[in-house]
Amino acid sequence: MRNSAYLDLIRMRFLMMLAYRVNYYSGILIYTLNIGVYYFTWQAIYGSQQTLAGFTVEQMTTYIAVSWMARAFYFNNLDQEISREIRDGSVAIQFIRPYNYILVKMMQGFGEGIFRLLLFMGPGMILACILFPVQLPTDPKLWLIFAWMLFMSFLINSQINIITGLTAFFIENNQGMMRLKRVIVDLFSGVIVPISFFPGWLITLNEWLPFQAITYLPSSVFTGRIPDGDLLGVLAIQLIWFAVLIVPIMLLWRAARQRLFVQGG
Amino acid sequence: MNAIEVDKLRKTFKVQRNREGLKGAMLDLFKREYNEVMAVKDISFTIPQGEICGYIGENGAGKSTTIKMLTGILVPTSGHLKVGGYVPYAEREKFVQHIGVVFGQRSQLWWDIGVIESFRLLRKVYRVGEQDFKSRLDELVERLQLQDLLNRPVRKLSLGQRMRCELVASLLHQPSILFLDEPTIGLDIVVKSEIREFLLQLNKEHGTTILLTTHDLQDIEALCSRVVMLDDGNIIYDGSLDHLKMTWGKGREVKFQFAEQVSKEKLSILTAGLPVVLEVQSEYEASVIVPQDANVSDVIARVASGVSISDLSIEETNTDDIVREIYRTGNADQPSKQGVS
Amino acid sequence: MYYLGLVSEYLKNYAKTRLTYRADFWIEVISDLMFQVTNLIFIFVVFMHTPTLAGWTRDEMVFVYGYFMIPYGIFSCFFNMWGFSERYIVKGEMDRILTRPAHNLFQILLENVDPPSIIGSFVGAILMITAGSQMGIDFGILDMLLLLIMILGSVLIYFGIYTGLTSISFYSDAPTGILPLVWNIQNYGRYPLTIYNRFIQVLLTWILPFAFVGIVPASRFLEDKGMEQMALLTPAVGIIAFTIGLTMWNVGVKRYRGAGS
Repeated sequence: MRNSAYLDLIRMRFLMMLAYRVNYYSGILIYTLNIGVYYFTWQAIYGSQQTLAGFTVEQMTTYIAVSWMARAFYFNNLDQEISREIRDGSVAIQFIRPYNYILVKMMQGFGEGIFRLLLFMGPGMILACILFPVQLPTDPKLWLIFAWMLFMSFLINSQINIITGLTAFFIENNQGMMRLKRVIVDLFSGVIVPISFFPGWLITLNEWLPFQAITYLPSSVFTGRIPDGDLLGVLAIQLIWFAVLIVPIMLLWRAARQRLFVQGG
Repeated sequence: MNAIEVDKLRKTFKVQRNREGLKGAMLDLFKREYNEVMAVKDISFTIPQGEICGYIGENGAGKSTTIKMLTGILVPTSGHLKVGGYVPYAEREKFVQHIGVVFGQRSQLWWDIGVIESFRLLRKVYRVGEQDFKSRLDELVERLQLQDLLNRPVRKLSLGQRMRCELVASLLHQPSILFLDEPTIGLDIVVKSEIREFLLQLNKEHGTTILLTTHDLQDIEALCSRVVMLDDGNIIYDGSLDHLKMTWGKGREVKFQFAEQVSKEKLSILTAGLPVVLEVQSEYEASVIVPQDANVSDVIARVASGVSISDLSIEETNTDDIVREIYRTGNADQPSKQGVS
Repeated sequence: MYYLGLVSEYLKNYAKTRLTYRADFWIEVISDLMFQVTNLIFIFVVFMHTPTLAGWTRDEMVFVYGYFMIPYGIFSCFFNMWGFSERYIVKGEMDRILTRPAHNLFQILLENVDPPSIIGSFVGAILMITAGSQMGIDFGILDMLLLLIMILGSVLIYFGIYTGLTSISFYSDAPTGILPLVWNIQNYGRYPLTIYNRFIQVLLTWILPFAFVGIVPASRFLEDKGMEQMALLTPAVGIIAFTIGLTMWNVGVKRYRGAGS
């Protein structure tokens, strides 16, 4: 398949998302509401204390806003889509098509991501900045790094979604798996609580899991909590996880192929 | 008494217009545009109790919309209707106690559990007494020969078996009016005729009024004394089936396949004098259109006397063809026989 | 009596369907609970860094969360209509519902019962009891009775709000996305109202009264929370929300336009 066809997939998905636009008006409101409530909760938690777990109140506010809005960009339902296509059997056709199914899904996810970036995260961020005392960095270098890290967040989150979706080949009903995944990603990626608030053993555990690369690391960089010297390390963590997660996807896909050919779908 | 009275019934829908392309989608983002579509345009008719009436028309003619108004599912935009003495949409929950509905395309049975469980639940829903339920179920089960199917889950039934179960489900509460939307769609001939026979008997013994939509002319021929035909939301014909076919049917089409090469001239000579239209597809294939009042066996005998036939089939005009024919000329009152002469 | 009979009949059919498939029951329970556990983790993590949250201790917050889970579990068990628009309007299953002589909403609710969700209510009760006994709260018969009435009121609030919002599908054929919006708001009914600004307080109390599914009624059983009087409003708010929701639904059904055609 030519590359332009993959680009076309991005465009198609973008148009498709436009058809569901109303979902995103309310999506912006949902995210703003979530930011608001966590903002108020954290304000109450800080009370008269100036810093908790290395976060100042101001940093916390920015962290919440940036994290939720980053989620608005990288979030997608690739897991749901893939398991639906597996369950209704339409995935079988994908094996004979002249393209890579996983790559197609990635492209579709990316089309959705661009839509979300422009019509969801963008306006949502502006709204959040108006409503809450969010302090965005002024250094253009930080913005550039953040943009790159956000793209990596999208990749890693999509990879995790694809892995979860593909389990539908092996488990009759993976609905529970998918819900579990969503909860775990939200909790351990740091959207709900920054990782540094966790008890020590959980922080250590998280260092060995890919989830913090989705939200905690990019948001920490953007709020200026990572010193310049550590930036390369943080960028490397994301790249490593991206590379590592390719392995289970390949393995699952290969096993699924085997299974499909043996059982005939 | 009339089972169904419809007077100047109308239904309009608002349909959202989607503009084309990226720009259009962007515009839709901010302002939507709607079109009004009138699906049923001020139709009137009455159906007396105990009649079996066929309700026909092409897809999108407004059949389903009418049926849905008659069964209380949709609220009419304007007009009056009375079904079994009730205004369906106004007193729906009371009203539906007296009707049965089968949508051929959609099941009203639980997919994963035995058919009997669905029946038991419907007994409760329709408040049918245990005694009545038993005797009614026994009767229906025997008529439709469902004894062995009762404990099977619906997903394991064939379409014909399922449709028979759907009929039972819609009749457990002894409705006086039965609405059937495409009841024989996709069924094989044996099941179709079983169902037709059953409906006739039901009508005869219980005096059940039946209104059915169908694309199958044989359904109507076997069941209906009366046909209401709809096109683009208007009733374009209301009367007996015979009259309709006489004036509008092209007749039956006999399709021949020959075992030898046959020229058009030879066939013309063979069928000379018969009021038929000859269409030659190739040297081995031809079809003869025989009007309602002519005899098909004459035609076959004549052709067979001159050439050797390898295969033949007889096809009835279906309602779609009739509707299309009427639609082509635009008016049901002015029949023209140009198709035949 | 008629409707009670139907409940048991539908539940029987649910059980039979489940027995046909057997699997999945526990997976669903566990993933449901995990979702709740996340919220508990938030509470515990927060209280690792602060002794009180706007004057509420950890045990009090857990107690409130326990209460929150009880009506929510009951509601989720009987209200599982998140796919209503897709299944009943787009695919037209509403047609079938409307040709039957029981209230249409009631039929739809029963067709979609989700008993595993009710386990959450039991877990909530355990949390309440545990946190309550830590704080030394005794429950008398009268308190129990009051608790039941409060729970009933909270359940009615859920039903009212979500029935009303689901009925929007009858008015607009486009997805509005309002259900997830509100679903997100509801989670904030379990934090002390005083931490929010005026706008959110009013929203949670009088517009989408989710304060009455968690923090407000639960505070009736704690000491000195200053909401004892307001808590008693819970059943009334429930009845009002339920009436509004049901009315929106009943009016909406008349606008149902069927699938296709």
